[in-house]
Amino acid sequence: MRIKAKTAGISFFILMLGGILISMAADYWATEGSKDPLKYTDGEFAGENNPADIRGSYSMDDVHNAFDIPVETLTAAFGLSHEENPGSIQIKLFEEIFGIVDGKEIGTDSMRYFVALYKGLPYVAEEGTALLKPAISILRKEGSMTDEELSLAAENAVSLETAEINETATEDHDDTVLMEIKGKTMFSELYDWGLSKEDVEKILSMPAGARTMSVRDFCIANGIEFSTVKEPLQELLDNL
Amino acid sequence: MAKRVKVRKWIQIIFFTVAAFIAVNHSLAEVGKPIPLIGEASLHAICPFGGVVSIYNLLTTGSLVKMIHESSVVLMIIVFLSALIFGPLFCGWICPFGTFQEWISRIGRKLFKKRYNTFIPYKFDKYLRFLRYGVLIWVLIMTAWSGKIIFADYDPYYALFQFWTGEVAVTAFIALFAVLGLSLFIERPFCKYVCPYGAVLGLFNFIRIIPLRRNVSTCISCSACDKNCPMNIPVSKKKKIIDHQCISCFECTSEDGACPVSSTMEFNTKKLEEK
Ligand code: SF4
Ligand code: SF4
Repeated sequence: MRIKAKTAGISFFILMLGGILISMAADYWATEGSKDPLKYTDGEFAGENNPADIRGSYSMDDVHNAFDIPVETLTAAFGLSHEENPGSIQIKLFEEIFGIVDGKEIGTDSMRYFVALYKGLPYVAEEGTALLKPAISILRKEGSMTDEELSLAAENAVSLETAEINETATEDHDDTVLMEIKGKTMFSELYDWGLSKEDVEKILSMPAGARTMSVRDFCIANGIEFSTVKEPLQELLDNL
Repeated sequence: MAKRVKVRKWIQIIFFTVAAFIAVNHSLAEVGKPIPLIGEASLHAICPFGGVVSIYNLLTTGSLVKMIHESSVVLMIIVFLSALIFGPLFCGWICPFGTFQEWISRIGRKLFKKRYNTFIPYKFDKYLRFLRYGVLIWVLIMTAWSGKIIFADYDPYYALFQFWTGEVAVTAFIALFAVLGLSLFIERPFCKYVCPYGAVLGLFNFIRIIPLRRNVSTCISCSACDKNCPMNIPVSKKKKIIDHQCISCFECTSEDGACPVSSTMEFNTKKLEEK
């Protein structure tokens, strides 16, 4: 059988369209990461979406879909109501917009913290994570957290004005050099920074995950609270 | 100027435009203004090589490498299937970076005329062509080791389609300028010496179902095919052309390309002399 250029070109198109359609029919085709957070595996909230798995790539709409909090509430909590098209703002932009304010961080973890308090779900925020003052007023009116949790959040809250002044605070922020454990830090990075596998496993009290897995994902999958692991690991790194 | 395979040119333009659109749209989506209907896929989502570098991760941790999505795996399978049948069609017809280099080569051709793409003697060049397998091994090992798409930091293709985002590493820009410069002397320098994906696809030339064949009894040994081959393959010296660098561009064939004698250079499942 002789193949002409045209036949080859058309065949490629058919193969490509067919392949994509089949994978769509099989529900495998995805050009973006899944926006369904992991669920709590046990306890009172088993089966509910876990705010600990909110990622920087989530938009306000994604958080709304996963946790049923109105987009207006979410944007108001972070002083972004005036933005055009607020539903599509991605949480990872928080680091750029706010960054470190008064030594506290307004970033992806702030959204996890806010959602958890709003819905009354168990979550321990990373150390240094803060909320903005408008978020506290919203929580006071609509949140499902305990009074104790609210007063702790209020104590740490930062004002929107200070946040705006510090807009460029995180520029040139290089987290490899800082050796700072964040939600996306992988086991391989811990080893690269100089921790041994044994050190890490001692803190986890179980065998470590694959090198390419993030410590936070590992904790969520194994029902460990990330912050209880993060702090001792950070301490080890600081003392290296 | 030699005859060019027209349908290929058009398909190249289409895929280049689609890739550029997706790249720009992804940036617009990040600031909340995506072009409607295209979705918000990133360039990584449509890169079949993302699927290749993810294989190890997929097998060991069940997840893809960071920023790579399932669509990459689907496209990888499609491209592999097409390569199994037709050889590296992806390189010759689809890859926007291959297309980009070909467009730059037009300037080189104007500058150097017949000397274009002949500066490195083939007897040395044929060994240099194995460099891309070194790159491939390095990329696979490093990606499996780190779980990140490390090649993006050196990838001129990524630099070309993301130069406005501020996410491109300086090394990738240097690579892009090097490719730009070299393309003025050599056709597809990145494909020939560096591209790890081209290296993988090139291997399909050894098992492709429809190989390139020359009819020795009708061939007039004019070497038109050799001169027109962008990858400098000595096509006219062989009966069945099995070369890891062939990109199935059809530029050497009788029907669509440079060969002046009909039915003499063809992609054909059967031996041409038997017809
Ligand atoms: S060798 Fe690489 S750059 Fe060249 S066309 Fe093929 S995939 Fe594209
Ligand atoms: S041998 Fe023919 S089909 Fe293969 S790269 Fe050269 S010109 Fe293209």
